[in-house]
Amino acid sequence: MSKEEFNPKILGFLCNWCCYAAADAAGVSRYQYPPNLRTIRIMCTGRLDPAFVMRGLVEGAAGIFTGG
Amino acid sequence: MLSLSGKPGNFKAELQLRPRYIDADKCTACGLCTTYCPRHLADSFNEGLDLTRPIHIDYPQAVPASYFIDPEACLYLQHDTCQICVPTCRSNAIDFSQQPKKISLDIGAVIMAPGFGRVPEEALTQYGYGQHPDIVTSIEFERLLNPSGPFEGEVRCLSDKRHPKKIAFIQCVGSRDLGCGNGYCSSVCCMYAIKEAMVAKEHDPECEITIYYMDIRTQGKDFDAARIKAEEHYGIKFIRAKVADVIPWKKNLKLTYSTMDGVHRFDAYDMVVLAEGLDSPTDARALADITGVELDKYDFCKTGFFEPLASSRDGVYAIGAFQGPKDIPESVTQSSAAAGISAGQIKAGRGKDIVIKEYPTEKALKASDEPRIGVFVCHCGINIAGVVDVQKVDDYTKDMEGVVYHAQSLYSCSQDAQKVIKEMIKLHDLNRVVIAACSPRTHEPLFQETLKDAGLNRSLFEMVNIRDHCSWVHANEPDKATDKSMDLVRMGIAKARHIQPLPEQTVPVTDKAIVIGGGIAGMTAALNLADQGFQTTIIEKSARLGGHLLDQRYTLSGENMADYLKKVTDQIAKHKKIDVLTNSELAEVGGFVGNFSSVVRSGKGSKASEQTIDHGVIVVATGGREHVPATVLGKKVPQSDKFITQKELEIGLAGKGKNRAPKSVVMIQCAGSRGDDLAYCSKTCCTQAVKNSLKIKEINPDSQIIVLYRDMRTYGFTEDAYREAREKGVIFIPYSMDKKPSLSAKGTKAEVAFYDPILQDDVTINPDLVALSVGTVPESTAELSRLLKVPVNGDDFYLEAHVKLRPVEMPVAGVFLCGLAHSPKPVDEIIVQAQAAAAKASIPLVKGQVSVEPIVSSIDKDKCIGCRLCASLCPYQAIEMVKVDKKPKAETVVASCKACGICAAHCPTFAISMGGFTNEQITSQIEAFGEALEEA
Amino acid sequence: MAKAKQKKTGAPARKSAKTAAQSGSMMVVGGGVAGVQAALDLTDLGYYVYLVEKSAAVGGAMAQLDKTFPTNDCSL
Repeated sequence: MSKEEFNPKILGFLCNWCCYAAADAAGVSRYQYPPNLRTIRIMCTGRLDPAFVMRGLVEGAAGIFTGG
Repeated sequence: MLSLSGKPGNFKAELQLRPRYIDADKCTACGLCTTYCPRHLADSFNEGLDLTRPIHIDYPQAVPASYFIDPEACLYLQHDTCQICVPTCRSNAIDFSQQPKKISLDIGAVIMAPGFGRVPEEALTQYGYGQHPDIVTSIEFERLLNPSGPFEGEVRCLSDKRHPKKIAFIQCVGSRDLGCGNGYCSSVCCMYAIKEAMVAKEHDPECEITIYYMDIRTQGKDFDAARIKAEEHYGIKFIRAKVADVIPWKKNLKLTYSTMDGVHRFDAYDMVVLAEGLDSPTDARALADITGVELDKYDFCKTGFFEPLASSRDGVYAIGAFQGPKDIPESVTQSSAAAGISAGQIKAGRGKDIVIKEYPTEKALKASDEPRIGVFVCHCGINIAGVVDVQKVDDYTKDMEGVVYHAQSLYSCSQDAQKVIKEMIKLHDLNRVVIAACSPRTHEPLFQETLKDAGLNRSLFEMVNIRDHCSWVHANEPDKATDKSMDLVRMGIAKARHIQPLPEQTVPVTDKAIVIGGGIAGMTAALNLADQGFQTTIIEKSARLGGHLLDQRYTLSGENMADYLKKVTDQIAKHKKIDVLTNSELAEVGGFVGNFSSVVRSGKGSKASEQTIDHGVIVVATGGREHVPATVLGKKVPQSDKFITQKELEIGLAGKGKNRAPKSVVMIQCAGSRGDDLAYCSKTCCTQAVKNSLKIKEINPDSQIIVLYRDMRTYGFTEDAYREAREKGVIFIPYSMDKKPSLSAKGTKAEVAFYDPILQDDVTINPDLVALSVGTVPESTAELSRLLKVPVNGDDFYLEAHVKLRPVEMPVAGVFLCGLAHSPKPVDEIIVQAQAAAAKASIPLVKGQVSVEPIVSSIDKDKCIGCRLCASLCPYQAIEMVKVDKKPKAETVVASCKACGICAAHCPTFAISMGGFTNEQITSQIEAFGEALEEA
Repeated sequence: MAKAKQKKTGAPARKSAKTAAQSGSMMVVGGGVAGVQAALDLTDLGYYVYLVEKSAAVGGAMAQLDKTFPTNDCSL
């Protein structure tokens, strides 16, 4: 078990105007980062209802990422 | 451009189109061609600090997002060999058969914005540029700081790649320097030097930075605060000195400088940055020959004080650095202003040439209709398919609920792919489309257009980003990238099942404007709005038009202010589209952009009357006035008629008084500004002091004038007048805050005591007159900011929506800003800003409607309990409380809503829904994320 | 920006034969931040705009800048 890779699945909520744009820019610049994030685009992190965070954890996310 | 003939309304321009050798419609900006191109080329975008290839794109965000071939460097175009790139391009975009083309255009007006040129080489070489790689220009340094620059944002010495620990900035390189022919001040270098120094400090807090300067000219709005922050927070050193030279010295650079006391000193630095000024554009003369406009003595476009953008040729306007050196917000302001003036001049042409596109009728979709989803997975050439297993992703969607069609596409954004998507929508009766490709931020509009062409509501669309967020960033882990793509596609399809068509909303506009304030800003804005054909009402608090211009007599170049004011007020009086309400104030404002309804109160007491005006936009031009400082230089102003303000001096000088230009005059700059009584710099006082000094010298050449200053801020071309004043014998002596001059009145005599840094001694004199440069304050902004719900900054000036890019708009839609209410500035800049505000304000009036993105919030009135939480949280005043059956209910003002969703996230009864981002849709995405976890 | 470009690539409408009639098109020379903003505003004001730029992309000098003074916002 100890050799098993730590491979958490993280759920991300990305603001359309900044973090989502930054993630696009990271792609354009070919920056490499670990493929553990699954993202949901929202128009502003103001939209992030705490219920979405709880729901994400219930669904099995190892962590919740928000960028805004 | 080859030629320009004709007159305003009917110009004819001949142009030569140069080929880019790449079909921009086919190029997908994948970058494969650059990797194959065998030849290296100095990257001019990175100031030659980096290498690129003849086939390249300057930077990833370039528009058009298409590569091009530099014909000067391409092996095929120069030597008829190579052509390696042609077969590497998967979309066959490279086309060497392209030829230069001549075209001819019919146009109504010309706006020239060729930008700025580089300062003469000798301005740089005098500081050793070219002799040592670590002497760099400020633009080279800018590239060093940039993450897309040569060292990916790390500041390193070009000589040996070490991190510099000591950096010096030398100001006024190629500016304020008759030696290289540039007598003017470039107006931007102080700001960018401070910015670069601060950013460099953020990269490496250990780095010591010194700025060598003559005057720090941070006269713009909130600029002084940044300068203070640079000094106090970042620890950047400022030394007032003239740099003699920079010479390589062992591994370092030796910088020799002389300070005010006449002492020569030297210091060693790892890197020296030359803050190079802005020169007139390289091709200014050629452009002048072609267009027939006159240039000034420095080869910038010649324009007038009261018509700052009009060139010598009617219908041809100059903006940006070509009109004179300036920063971004002022350039952007001039752009809008020029657009507005030319629109006023060519009013009859409006709407003639625009192309309006028509769409088929939208197919009605009922909520009960089962989703029929079509999925298209894009290869993006090899950009996605090179990493992600597209076939596997495509197969994965096969059995998903609601998916009736799925396919792959080589380039889903190409024109032929749009055709296929449209055909498949019809063939399979699709009512939702999911495209797994690149970013919705760049490509959503294109696909939504395709949906509209196919008769589908454009909201029935979801995009999944498997390129920018997947193949490009997980290039070394193809399996995991494929897994991630599958998860993201599953989540996208889950959302798509819940997407509903959203109506396109528009709000009609009342095509009238009101302008608050009848000073030069308000009058200029009103004239432009009226010239464009819109009924405009000026609301002026006092009994007459003119504002602070009534107190001004002459300009620096000698024009008479009163004559100009009379000309403008006559135009206003004659204009059929302008109403003027004097002795009037705004009492109430209701509504939103396009549909304001305001109550104006005229007169006072028993004679007061009120009227309601419906209008679409508001221009705020409430102006400012000369400040009355409580203290000057830390003390009360002595009670004596020997102490007057610059305004009073100007009025006196323009009159006929016998002793109006006395034998000895002392002027005190920043009297009450820059941390004395007011926190900010008032921008105009230095020019006013120079203007009045020259006037005194004109009347009485024997008068001895001493100007005590902190930094002389005669930016741009007014630097010439500052030099002229010194040549005519006006003495300028700087003072520092720890050795302030002191002012007193002894009997009928005025006394000024100050420290002279050149004599290095205290001096006391008894001048005939002391003129105080007291600065400018806005007219009260408190009441109006409350009425309009617009913010003010710490100095009580109104705050614009974006300092650089939206300088004349307020955060509240439909409200625009110009003049002294925005910040202190000279009259020519006020005129431009007012023209810009008018141009921006006329945009919704021209359109006749305000269109609303369908993603705004909507409120279910049955669920709403009227708690007002959403209304109090909304940052855009986009929620109003209305009464329904006597109960308070929230309602979205769709024209003001920015779709942030704060209201929806906080509503305790889930009554608020966001178009395209409903609770149901987001929850379904989260659930799909969970299902994908279970599968794994 | 996309909008201005789009308008540029479309075909200009036919002019009336009367020479006195004013053109409904404008030309902006220079695709830096000033030129681009002027073109966008003219489009919004109901004119067809030809944006003329000598290099391969619009953006001018501002695209070379890292950040802007005094807020240190990104330039691009």
